[in-house]
Amino acid sequence: MPLMRRLLLMLMGLLLAVSIGWSSVHRPEQVTILMPAPFVDATADQVKRFNAENNGRIALNVIRGPRDTESISDLAISSLLLGTPPFDALLVDVTWLPKYVAADWLQPLDPWFDSDDIESLVAGAQLGNNVDGALYRWPFGADVGLLYWRKDLMPEPPQTAEELVQIAQNLRAEGRVKEGFVWQGRQYEGLSCNFVEFLSAFGGTWLDPETGQPTFDSEAARLTAHWMQQLITQGTSPLAVSNYSEPETLQAFKSGDAALMRNWPYAWAELQSESSAVKGRVGVSTMVAQPGASPAATLGSWGFSLLRGSPHQQATAEAIRALTSPDAQRDRFLRQGYTPTHAALFHDPELLEASPVLPQLEEALSIAEPRPITPLYAQMSDLLQRQLSGLLTEKRDPDQAMDQLQGATLTLLRSAGGVS
Amino acid sequence: MAMVFGWPMLRYSWLSMHASSVLTGLEPVSNQGANWIRLLEDARFWQDAVQTLRFAALSVGLEIVLALAMALLLDQSWRGRGVVRALSLLPWALPTTMMALGWRWIFNTPYGPLEQMAQSAGLSPLNLLSNPDWTWLATVIADVWKTTPFITLLLLAGLQTIPDDLYSAFRLEGGKTRQALTAITLPLLTPYILIGILFRTAQAAGVFDLIQVLTGGGPAGSTESIAQYAYLNAMRFLDFGYSATVMLAGFVLLSLVIFTAAVLLQISGLLRPLKS
Repeated sequence: MPLMRRLLLMLMGLLLAVSIGWSSVHRPEQVTILMPAPFVDATADQVKRFNAENNGRIALNVIRGPRDTESISDLAISSLLLGTPPFDALLVDVTWLPKYVAADWLQPLDPWFDSDDIESLVAGAQLGNNVDGALYRWPFGADVGLLYWRKDLMPEPPQTAEELVQIAQNLRAEGRVKEGFVWQGRQYEGLSCNFVEFLSAFGGTWLDPETGQPTFDSEAARLTAHWMQQLITQGTSPLAVSNYSEPETLQAFKSGDAALMRNWPYAWAELQSESSAVKGRVGVSTMVAQPGASPAATLGSWGFSLLRGSPHQQATAEAIRALTSPDAQRDRFLRQGYTPTHAALFHDPELLEASPVLPQLEEALSIAEPRPITPLYAQMSDLLQRQLSGLLTEKRDPDQAMDQLQGATLTLLRSAGGVS
Repeated sequence: MAMVFGWPMLRYSWLSMHASSVLTGLEPVSNQGANWIRLLEDARFWQDAVQTLRFAALSVGLEIVLALAMALLLDQSWRGRGVVRALSLLPWALPTTMMALGWRWIFNTPYGPLEQMAQSAGLSPLNLLSNPDWTWLATVIADVWKTTPFITLLLLAGLQTIPDDLYSAFRLEGGKTRQALTAITLPLLTPYILIGILFRTAQAAGVFDLIQVLTGGGPAGSTESIAQYAYLNAMRFLDFGYSATVMLAGFVLLSLVIFTAAVLLQISGLLRPLKS
């Protein structure tokens, strides 16, 4: 029965081919996203839901990156440099975006997110996502700098830089609190974030919005430098703030040792926890500003970016949309306290009931100030941090420090062709 | 050797003659030695070089002295020595980043144990991590704490190769115990001390994680090491051409230091026991 056998073999071969073909057609599209560890935990349920809803069509996998911002940047950059990274999208910090775009690593998201989507975002979340007019990032959560104040020590938060100093010094003189104002003065990115807010308090900006030139030679920059140094020399802030990052700052305020604190929204939940010595006695406001100047809240925040060359762009965009949907944001706000980006959620009764500071967050987001949007940002910020750290710890002359900083920033931009 | 050392060195040399940054789209573009001219004029690099060298010199120096004392102690036989030997290795076994975080907490003002002690002694806050003149000593303390056990182990091994007969003979001839240290122990231990110095100097000159975590290079850039500067240029600024230049220059400086030390040692004759 050679004929029968041959037919049988052919039939089996056909079956095999069909089943392989079938399974490859119906094999779900694999989408992989790299995130810092805390965000992986915060999105775990939403990822599960997305995979259930898209069962057999898209399989979303999340790579658990390190917790620390700089470590995840190292990991992302290393894998991007090697060519084909094992992920389709990643969460990027707001300051990395221009650098990544200049390195040609990202794919614009414009085809998937239109102007209606953007307009549904709260003001602060609309910033820092575009480079050269293209949308390269879709925000995961909103994040801005806030001023925390002690309700039991003052009736109202300070409004001006002078008021802040006065309140802090009076409280210390009366012996009602150990330290006045704590903030992030360690030589690292946080110091630049604080500076943006202090500078705005005196009416200045880092780069001239018209010309893109640094403005450290401005009167506002000089006043800011003097003010920051005096915060320490006149005892408004302890010298120790010159080595404080966020955790140390929060520790000082949470233990009841400080009257005022500059920090991010995440601190609120910590201050309301059982271990907090100031639970129920904390108010949230925005950074002070001198009369005539407008206060600013430095824009932080992470967002999803799509990698150029990802073979699953459509599916990845769908995943990004699902992970940032209003429902997902409501979930994350109620469970982990991540500030939402959708404007409507700030007026949602359920959310307002969960957190009485939502209106203050919205207000801070309306004055959000991005750090300079340039591929050379990391260098510029590094120059600033070193000078400011010298100002705070070495009693370096503020005017001289600002002059040097102006010169160094100009040299950097010139050598890079950034200033004509 | 060619794979793990030769090829990277060649690649770095080549890269140091090119601009390769976000401004070139990460493509290497030849720039006729502009990186090296920039390096010569870069005050920050030279400041980092001085900082790296003084950090290495002081921490290795302190480590050798402390390790020698500990090794001599652990070489004697006494009750509980085994436990202490094992315990003394603990700092060395800890991951550097973890122990650096620990030290950052110890030095924390005002909540760290060090400040608490200063406070109860009636001193004003030390602010050891906020002083551009002194903070580098904090990095030395942390490094000494972490790596002294390594040299102790090395010297302890060395001590056990010295035959007891030598000491017995020395005593028979009327030598005093204290003299045995300079007459027998130290001369015979010299090769081990030199190996310890060599290992640790090479390591300390490339210090990165300890400083990155403990001070982040601050305050005012006073504790930044060459390795950190190279890392910043590559991983933060995406300026690979200049990063390669900084790395190579650091390597050349370190080689010069070690070469000079080797020549001085050769002349002094301290290496002789190694050869016999």
